[in-house]
Amino acid sequence: MIANFISIPVMLLLSVLQTTTISRIALINGSADIILIAVACWGVKEKGYNAFVWALVGGLVVALNTAMPFYIPILSYFFVAILAKLLFGRIWQSPILMLIVVVFVGTLFQHLLSIFYLQVNGVNAGLINSMQNITLPSLLLNLFFIFPMYVIISDVRQWVLPGEDYE
Amino acid sequence: MKPVSPNTLRNAVVVFLIIGILFMALSGFLRPVLGVVMDPFVAAQRWLSERVMAVYDFFTLPRDVTELIQRNSELEDEVANLQSQIIQLQEQLQEADILYSLLDYARSRPADEYIAAAVIGRDPSPFLQYIIIDHGSDDGIRYGMPVVTQQGLVGRVEAVTASAARVQLISDAQSIVNVSLQTQGADALVEGSISGDITLEMLNQNISLNTGEILLTSGLGGNFPSDILVGQVVDFQKTENELFQTAYVQPVVDFETLRAVLVITNFQTTNITPLTNETTR
Repeated sequence: MIANFISIPVMLLLSVLQTTTISRIALINGSADIILIAVACWGVKEKGYNAFVWALVGGLVVALNTAMPFYIPILSYFFVAILAKLLFGRIWQSPILMLIVVVFVGTLFQHLLSIFYLQVNGVNAGLINSMQNITLPSLLLNLFFIFPMYVIISDVRQWVLPGEDYE
Repeated sequence: MKPVSPNTLRNAVVVFLIIGILFMALSGFLRPVLGVVMDPFVAAQRWLSERVMAVYDFFTLPRDVTELIQRNSELEDEVANLQSQIIQLQEQLQEADILYSLLDYARSRPADEYIAAAVIGRDPSPFLQYIIIDHGSDDGIRYGMPVVTQQGLVGRVEAVTASAARVQLISDAQSIVNVSLQTQGADALVEGSISGDITLEMLNQNISLNTGEILLTSGLGGNFPSDILVGQVVDFQKTENELFQTAYVQPVVDFETLRAVLVITNFQTTNITPLTNETTR
């Protein structure tokens, strides 16, 4: 239960960090999404279902700040949690490798969903252009932030759920 | 003649002896003798002095080092505090510069009423060009209000909470601004894109466009006041088989470094949706 409650302050803190700092660190037009990474980090380290709560809280917190419709971040983070659940313990028994795969596929899903939404709403997003200028740089930045976020989330897990980590 | 007393004679001899010894000492004749006599005393004095100083240092030096370390630590803390204060003051100076610039702009357009707001965040989605400002409905910010800086147009308020508001930049892919060319008066549209670049669209082919052309808001559509600087044409495409020209525009506002903005509070946006629905019907 505490693992679910702790997601609220952690996600709020990450959201503040995301809007004030991380969104300003741009590579071409891409930027990292540390909330997606946090959900993935939590998901790859547990057998339970707390990652879905983290995905929901993260999605709601991001929905407060973004002009995208609320269901896009929520769906994206849920997809990440589901992916982490599906791949749990299947990739060389290593959470880090699994984390890289989850963040990579999760970012692609999130961006494809965003592009689809923009196209439906009449914005000429351009799949190739978006992939080149936004998605690929964002992927690179997300992979860059994986390791520090993994360490932070691992520490939070050790504090909240001592001895329950999958290593 | 009165005979000299033996005492007087003895005293005189003593005085002469003393004067003679002093004279010899000052002349250096007694140096070997003095050396032989004084050297043991000097050596003994030096030996004793060195031991006494060693003992004195033993008891006093560690305390001085401790004091010095403590003092050094205090001074380092003070330096760190002062450096922190310098950074804070520099930040305040920069903010004051920005606010003075905004104030100058506000004074240059006295008909408008403004609320100054700080930029406190950006939209988390890289596909959208939005900023978050630190003033909301409690401060009188309402949906649709135009947002400017001393340089020119920034965008418009798209969502408001009690203490914050989200502003859609003119570089956002869903943003459209009606503009007019400063020198020719022709109307066109400035559209944003997902990459944050802005382009001039719907410009009549008959208009002779030049690079460097200044774009101002036209006021058409009722979303923005007229005559606010938007940008400058940096390049354009004129294709014979196209209905309209397209030009690339350099916005006057650097959206990456935005720190403070002015929200125009007395501008009434016009909702023309019913009119367009009538037209299409």
